Amino acid sequence: MPGLPRPITVTSVQRRRRRETAAAWAYISPAVFIILGLGVVPVAWSLVLSFQVDDLVTPSRWTGLDNYAALAQDPHFAEAIRNTVLYTLLYVPLSILFGFLLAQALNRRIRLVGVYRTLVFVPFVLSATAQGVLFSFILDPQFGAANSALHHLGVSPQGFLTDPAQALLVLVGITLWSGTGFCVVVYLAALQDVPPSLVEAARLDGAGTWRVLRHVTLPAVTPVTLFLVLWQLITSLQVFDLVYVTTKGGPLGSTTVIVYFVWEQAFKNFTAGYGAASAYVLALALVVVVVVLRVLRRPGKALR
Amino acid sequence: MSGLDGNLLMDRRGFLRGAGGLVLGTAVAGCGPARSTPGPVTVEVWHGQTDTGKKVLDALVADFHRTHPGIRIDLGGGVLADAMLQKITAALASGSFPDIAYVFGSDLASVARSPSVVDVTDLVDAGPGFWAPARAAVTVNGRVRAVPALLDSLAVVCNRELFANAEIPLPAAGWTWADFVDTARKLTDAGSGTFGTAWPATGDEDTVWRLWPMVWDLGGDVIGAGGRGIGFADQGVRALEVVRDLAAAHAVYLDPKTGSEQMYQAFEAGHIGMVATGPWQLPDITDAGIDYAVVPLPSFSRRPITISGPDTWTLFDNGEERVQAARTFLSWLTEPAQDVRWDDGAGSLPLSRRAQQLPAWQEKTAETPDLPVFVDALEHARVRPVHPAYPQVSAAVGTAIVAVLLGRATPADALRDCAAAANAALIIPR
Amino acid sequence: MRTQTTRPARLPFDPWHLLLVPLALVFAAPLVWLLLSSVMSNAEINRFPPALWPSHVDFAGYRYVLDNALFLRWFTNSLIVSAVTVVSNLLFGTLGGYAFARMRFAGSRALLALMVATMAIPFQLTMIPTFLVMKKLGLIDSLGALIVPSLVTPFAVFLLRQFFLSLPRELEEAAWIDGCSRLRVLFTIVLPLSRPALSTVAVLTFLSTWNDLTWPLIAINHDTTYTLQLGLTTFQGQHHTNWAAVMAGNVITVLPVLLAFLGAQKTFIQSVTSSGLKG
Repeated sequence: MPGLPRPITVTSVQRRRRRETAAAWAYISPAVFIILGLGVVPVAWSLVLSFQVDDLVTPSRWTGLDNYAALAQDPHFAEAIRNTVLYTLLYVPLSILFGFLLAQALNRRIRLVGVYRTLVFVPFVLSATAQGVLFSFILDPQFGAANSALHHLGVSPQGFLTDPAQALLVLVGITLWSGTGFCVVVYLAALQDVPPSLVEAARLDGAGTWRVLRHVTLPAVTPVTLFLVLWQLITSLQVFDLVYVTTKGGPLGSTTVIVYFVWEQAFKNFTAGYGAASAYVLALALVVVVVVLRVLRRPGKALR
Repeated sequence: MSGLDGNLLMDRRGFLRGAGGLVLGTAVAGCGPARSTPGPVTVEVWHGQTDTGKKVLDALVADFHRTHPGIRIDLGGGVLADAMLQKITAALASGSFPDIAYVFGSDLASVARSPSVVDVTDLVDAGPGFWAPARAAVTVNGRVRAVPALLDSLAVVCNRELFANAEIPLPAAGWTWADFVDTARKLTDAGSGTFGTAWPATGDEDTVWRLWPMVWDLGGDVIGAGGRGIGFADQGVRALEVVRDLAAAHAVYLDPKTGSEQMYQAFEAGHIGMVATGPWQLPDITDAGIDYAVVPLPSFSRRPITISGPDTWTLFDNGEERVQAARTFLSWLTEPAQDVRWDDGAGSLPLSRRAQQLPAWQEKTAETPDLPVFVDALEHARVRPVHPAYPQVSAAVGTAIVAVLLGRATPADALRDCAAAANAALIIPR
Repeated sequence: MRTQTTRPARLPFDPWHLLLVPLALVFAAPLVWLLLSSVMSNAEINRFPPALWPSHVDFAGYRYVLDNALFLRWFTNSLIVSAVTVVSNLLFGTLGGYAFARMRFAGSRALLALMVATMAIPFQLTMIPTFLVMKKLGLIDSLGALIVPSLVTPFAVFLLRQFFLSLPRELEEAAWIDGCSRLRVLFTIVLPLSRPALSTVAVLTFLSTWNDLTWPLIAINHDTTYTLQLGLTTFQGQHHTNWAAVMAGNVITVLPVLLAFLGAQKTFIQSVTSSGLKG
């Protein structure tokens, strides 16, 4: 009801602030409760678990550093790290490179460019499960279209996901099929933000395509590139669904990745303490990597 | 019961009859499981069977329903036996589990740690006298934690025709692994696409369990004394050398797909001379028209030894009523009369000597030549240790066997890597 | 486009098409095959050499799926989980985001930083304890176990907070002075202006819950409570020789997201890029 403005006194300011704090807490408490409760608390709990023997069924008991000692000797753990690092080292640069190149190709006004862009991006919305099931079929050594096509070309049938030497590379390929679209779309948006006047100016100065790319385009999209590196790095280090649906960590452990290893130890072998220990070791490694990259990306920029 | 003279009043006889009937009925009702709620008790069974086993189970359950009206068996839920371990442990972890589940003997150790698993020592002791391997497979730390469900043993099935063509006499009991490799070599004919023998090459349990009789024969053990390391560091190398010899002679067909179906299909098409398998495969082999002979597994020492891989029915505690009903069902199911029907449908050997002696089983033996070889092998059959780390030890051995089969590693190297992985699994605190 | 004065002949279309068509086919071909094989008969699929085009349309795969599996049940489960999660994220994300954007209270900056930091926690670290928490709450094997951990995400709170900060304060202050309650200001003035951010949160939350496999795999055991992704992979494991049926199931799993995407492409793409560029 409009009327005279209320006189501002000291106590009413204090009361207002208290009311504001109370209101704010009312607004944020569900979010804080869930996010911190299921974010921060589990981190501490995992640490506790890593010093215990817990099979998720019987009561747990303390075992000190035994889990970590066992971890140090476990060749599967080392293998999981190797596989994940290989997968990441292949996927991240390739997806960004292909994403950039495709974005360049799609950043022009020709007919049907919308259709092309859509087709490139569609695989991204599919779940890893759907992709895994689809490609398990396409790449089936006996009934799959891939070997059928190779047969028509006179190439001998390949094992793909059943071949320990090929399986991880195939998984990288599948992830590229769906993940490149994300990079394309992000790069497209960034490329469209590049001021055309800059490109024009460079062209007028006689710069060829490559020069324009190197000195105008790439620097302009550097922040996006760094973001994509970080994002793709984090997502590829956490790959699980695709592995579970296609190879279940096989054949012969060639596609066992970090998250799969942790899941296996906790929910398949029912040694949850051991799983927690491995998760901890890997999380610490991840923290180091991410911190390094964040520092590279925005030196000194504090959270607003 | 009408009165004899149509009199509306009950005469004394009628009254006594009626009263007696009432008392009897109450007594009978009181003999059944104590019920808190009226109506039949439902027992949830995760049976893990494929279609053939399921059919026979359906028939048995139908009979059980007729003779035991107070209990209903629900066969709806669960997964195939191969995936049962994870499913049941997840169910135990979540607190909602069935009353009976079909659990592999080698998985029992993990499952039996749960306090919800019912101790059935008395039930099994009161049973029909199970074969020793069957009882060993269900015993964890001296207590019986499950009821035997399926019994098998490993022996070698030979294709008589291929032996005749190659002019080799059929093997006899007491033959050695060297004889086996030699025979396989002679049976192999690259020109006609014939292999001496076959081996699964996926690294799964079917790949692995064929190796244990060799290890045991040499005095080794799956898990060493103390439980912190393998017990076959040396014996394993010798066993893998047999595998290497087979592979080097190109005498072994490698099945790349899980389930081993491809391998058996090749045998049933007449491309494989002999294959180590269990009694469950005989019906398919007969249907394919193969003239076969079964001989015991070879060994190094010429002493008979083989492996048996019993499966179990594990009971879980969902309350007194349901446990009682489940126990009733299982003791009925393992009685020789039902056992024989189940064995027929599920491809099992009779769980007890009494079942073996039943005419129904004798008939089956008459129909299926050489079936008794599998049964006799039970006398000298050992089972895999009931240890929670077994699946991981097995996976390590599987990798080793496949590496040797594919010629990618020497037996010594393969076993060294296997030992590293298996020992690592054994030192994880459980 | 540079003119090609030295070229002898001009193509009737832009030469870029020559590159883009094969590329687009690489991305589209597997999806086309998904659709085609779902209406092929197994006899055709199992033939050697396998056919690359169906000779006739056969819905046996779909019939098998609907008769032998709980796909409709799973679809409903996924729908419930996703719908509830989207709504709750919009609600609590709005409330939380607005509080962080417009209200002043002690520790707000630190709290926000902490919540954003939790986004960096890898899932393998939290999945075991989250399972144990859900177990204690008795939610394992129910849709609640899938909904509760995703009720609010730090992403939603942060994105909405950033967006609210970008709105000019004047409108809200005017209403505030007029005596409107905070809540009313939020819902009647701020929210209608927040369409882009709200749809970003909605789209991305829907996508992540609908497509998730890892957490349902851990939290759900009974097949009547499976979500669509979990059901699909289980179905494939049990019926993997019946490829037509598996592909039919896959089509059912993929169709909702595909249709949603094709219907709201712009929103999807904008959501994805904005999360990227502002992240």
